[in-house]
Amino acid sequence: MLESARSRLKAWAAAGIGTAAAIAVAGVLGAFEARHAQVPVLAPANPIETGQWLLQPVKAYVSSEKYIYGTLRKPGAKALVFELDMTNRTATSTKDYFELLQANQPTIDPATKPYIVLTRDGTLSPELHPGMTERMAYIWDLPDGAAVPASLDLNVMSKIYKQRDNLYGLPGWFNPSAIGTLDVPVGPAPDNAEGQP
Amino acid sequence: MRRLANLVLLLVAVALCYGLQMSKPHYADLIGPIPVRGKVGDVVVGRSFEVRVEKVQFARKLRADRYGETKVLTTGGVWALVTVEFAARDASTVVSTASWRGPTRLTYDHTERLSFINNGFLPVTVDPGLQKKARLVFEVRPEEVGNATVLISSKLLAALDSQAEISIGPVAASSDGMPAGTVDTLDLTQPVDGLPK
Repeated sequence: MLESARSRLKAWAAAGIGTAAAIAVAGVLGAFEARHAQVPVLAPANPIETGQWLLQPVKAYVSSEKYIYGTLRKPGAKALVFELDMTNRTATSTKDYFELLQANQPTIDPATKPYIVLTRDGTLSPELHPGMTERMAYIWDLPDGAAVPASLDLNVMSKIYKQRDNLYGLPGWFNPSAIGTLDVPVGPAPDNAEGQP
Repeated sequence: MRRLANLVLLLVAVALCYGLQMSKPHYADLIGPIPVRGKVGDVVVGRSFEVRVEKVQFARKLRADRYGETKVLTTGGVWALVTVEFAARDASTVVSTASWRGPTRLTYDHTERLSFINNGFLPVTVDPGLQKKARLVFEVRPEEVGNATVLISSKLLAALDSQAEISIGPVAASSDGMPAGTVDTLDLTQPVDGLPK
């Protein structure tokens, strides 16, 4: 009886010490800092590197044109357009840019998916090719009667490369996380309205 | 002594496992496409289709018809246009993907900007005994043109299926960095097989 109580105590102590050691090691390795880390504020004038993309913000504006780069609006509806130069930094063509920029705007419902358009000819979400910079437009439809925001507040996301994922053992980009916030002033709509398909 | 022997055995097992992990092919390599190699002019025979590259042309712009309206497609690099002739082997099949792999192994997928054309471009339905011509169009960086390989397969993830790998060979560069013989505009409105539309 006494023997079994002693061995049980030993086991508990071993488990407790082991757990404490594991938590201490995780703490030393920085497992608890990531949760509280503040993402930096990115300057719109500078190029932004994410895992797969090199981004150069160009301009943001609100447009009430019927066609913006080939995307159709209802009469009277407005859209918030953010143009930027995107360069694919990876070795293969990809269109993994749907989660790249996430709007934080109070006027834009975060569930609203933007149109992502190649400004060259209005192709909707084409693959971008390695090392070829293209001007892209993210176009968010604004809700009816929404006020024109003074600035566009974005979360810039990045993914990490894994040579082998856990499911298929294939290479890929995973685990999106915010690398910074970007605040782009919303300017006047450009005069040369283009985009009639 | 016995403890030491156990330790040595453990270390040997670790070394063996590490060696196997480093030297053996991974899942992605094992189930990857099976290459069938050839060069321009050869008939490359895969599992379900045969393909012969007739010619390779380069252009700064492409002209194409979209809903009865002529569009000119520009590019930040150069358009590579590969005219091919397909045939199915013993059953009708569809050839749906192609990529351009440059000398530095950057991989440029078939362009998605011409998806509004549905005749003579990928995906191509081919039938046994009936040759069918098609155009493969890639948007590439000018320095990725020489000694490139065109990869053609029936479907996107050609796991354990054959993939035609046709080497283009060296391409001379002109003084402006563009490949020699680059024309200003290539007309895609003409049918590829010379037959009326």
